[in-house]
Amino acid sequence: MSEATFQVPVGPQHPALKEAPENFMFSIDGETVVDVKARIGYNHRGIEKAAESRSYIQNIYLVERVCGICSIAHVATYTPAVEEALNLEIPPRAKYIRTIIYELNRIASHYLWLGLAGHEIGFDTLFMYLWRDREIALNILEQITGNRVTYAAFTIGGVRRDISSEMAEKAKNGLSILEERMKYYKKLCLNEPTVLKRAVGVGILKPQDAITLCAVGPLLRASGVKSDVRADDPYLVYDEVPFYVVTYGGCDVASRVLVRCDETLVSIGIIKHALDRLPESPIRVKAPRIVPPAEVVSRTEAPRGELIYYLRSNGTDKPDRLKIRTPTLANIPSVCKSLIGGYLADIPIVLAAADPCFTCTDRMAFVNVSNGKRWVWTREQLRRYSMKWHQQN
Amino acid sequence: MAPTELIITLLQVLIFPGIIFLLGLAFVYEWVDRKFYARLQNRYGPLHTGPSGFLQPFADFVKLLAKEDITPQAADKPLFAATPILLLAIPIAALFCIPMTGLTALVSFEGDLIYIIFLSTLISMVTFLAAWSSTNPFSIIGGLRAAFQMLGYEVPMAIVMVCPAIAAGTLNISGIVAKQGTSGLWFILSQPLGFIILLICLLAEIKRVPFDIPEAETEIVAGWLTEFSGRKLALLRLSIDMELVFAAALTTALYLGGPAGLAPIPAIIYFLVKTTIIVLIMSNLRALFARFRIDQMVHGSWKFLTPLAILQVILVELAVG
Repeated sequence: MSEATFQVPVGPQHPALKEAPENFMFSIDGETVVDVKARIGYNHRGIEKAAESRSYIQNIYLVERVCGICSIAHVATYTPAVEEALNLEIPPRAKYIRTIIYELNRIASHYLWLGLAGHEIGFDTLFMYLWRDREIALNILEQITGNRVTYAAFTIGGVRRDISSEMAEKAKNGLSILEERMKYYKKLCLNEPTVLKRAVGVGILKPQDAITLCAVGPLLRASGVKSDVRADDPYLVYDEVPFYVVTYGGCDVASRVLVRCDETLVSIGIIKHALDRLPESPIRVKAPRIVPPAEVVSRTEAPRGELIYYLRSNGTDKPDRLKIRTPTLANIPSVCKSLIGGYLADIPIVLAAADPCFTCTDRMAFVNVSNGKRWVWTREQLRRYSMKWHQQN
Repeated sequence: MAPTELIITLLQVLIFPGIIFLLGLAFVYEWVDRKFYARLQNRYGPLHTGPSGFLQPFADFVKLLAKEDITPQAADKPLFAATPILLLAIPIAALFCIPMTGLTALVSFEGDLIYIIFLSTLISMVTFLAAWSSTNPFSIIGGLRAAFQMLGYEVPMAIVMVCPAIAAGTLNISGIVAKQGTSGLWFILSQPLGFIILLICLLAEIKRVPFDIPEAETEIVAGWLTEFSGRKLALLRLSIDMELVFAAALTTALYLGGPAGLAPIPAIIYFLVKTTIIVLIMSNLRALFARFRIDQMVHGSWKFLTPLAILQVILVELAVG
């Protein structure tokens, strides 16, 4: 650190990070960001470990709580992993319903994000309008699943609730409103000079950097890289519904806004298509409780990017190991890269542009950086360490 | 001065149209601003205290007075304690020079326009001092931004404040108001450009969206206000409301003919109506824009506002001859 720089902490408590406590230590020279160090781990919840002591059915409701915004993405990645280990094929109607709920969740998530982006650049009116309209998406989800946030709609072997034709009609009406509103917001973002001033050319992430730093999701697609699990490795019914991968080549915040606007419109198209073509079949098949020993990797395209689940079963009703790689964790290096060289005032919007969901991200591991040695502490060791730390400080 | 005259002057200063009246007006305009802003955003705004939440700003003020007042250990304590009082006193002192109930202000002398320009600069300087005295990284960045912002808006604002003075041929605000009253021609009609520039500069002066850069919530927590709490924060919030009253009253006096109007209705009514319109315009602007970045703000004001302000002066000079 040179003498000219000034340390500004963003987080663990900061208005730009409403959702979760993470720390970004910025070195500032005037208003320019010289360096940034990310520190995660303030909200470690031990979900992966907890999953090992719960049965496969109980784990559905546990992983649903990994993230409050894209809760469906986690269940929709976990359940196929278990079904793969069981070698179980789910009925076609269940696949369609899963796709519909997944895409509705993506719409709610993107609406939420766009509103937050408005708030980060001081445009509270956009925030209020988008969150008002997001209610339509939540109402459709509530109608279909009975819940607004944690839907509890999926189960191993299918889904728990069917979509009736009246529900489909109501959902389509709501979707038409959402489509019209999103077109309006896209037009607004393209024409409002203060928004453009804050978004165009801000937080540049070059395609080469995005690929090197393993960015995923809208962040990667806004750098012009065509990568979407839905298209690259189709799951559910994405090989049957018509959709295209949205990319923009601007590499800046404006492109990330536009990618999400267009993705919302694409999702609406997918849902409308799927609602019209719901096949007639049962909505679930009975799945055994005991899962034979297997190793499965399952991945889907969550609203924030590629979400990966690794599952190892050991022939009991509880998983031996469940490993979750959330998209935000993959995006942190890219975000740090795009922050350097920008303005202090642009920190919130660049951070937000990755749509970070930090609580899903937190991991903990002991690594000695100098020799690469890793180790594990027991709970008792952790407790003793914390007591010693408190006595010293 | 006769004793009765003294008492009347004292009452005028303390009650109407002095301190008590101005404090009330500050709360009312905060309510107008909050309510209108909320309705524009499809929200309800304050509802709970009083009819339609009319007393909410006052209730907030009282609540803050009762809260714990924390002074950071590293703060420059005398300055930290003095700045909230100064920041409240400056806009009140400036408002005494602006006519409200009649054609003459409470305090009126030749050159009081210059005095007001000086006081409005002082607001930014004290803001910077308040930030500096609280020794918090967020506060200091906020204070620096307030100072930068002042470098941006101050020159065009001073220029367009002088335009009505040139047209009226006096540096006395009461004189400017009287001139508009007698000729019946408000300066907004002859100098619309000046009015718009003044409104933009005043938005920057009172630090509102799109120029709320010094207190940008999502970037630097509360900016220069971060460390203030309890009574000090209550005074600072009141002073921000008072600056809104000041901005509205100044625009009214310079460009909308002040409290001048047709005879049977008292002048104060005209004043209230005109200032409310200015407050509504400012709330509307607040709902329309995203926040600028500090470099964009300074850049824009030197590139566009200052040349336009100079153009306005030239036009006025040509018109006056």
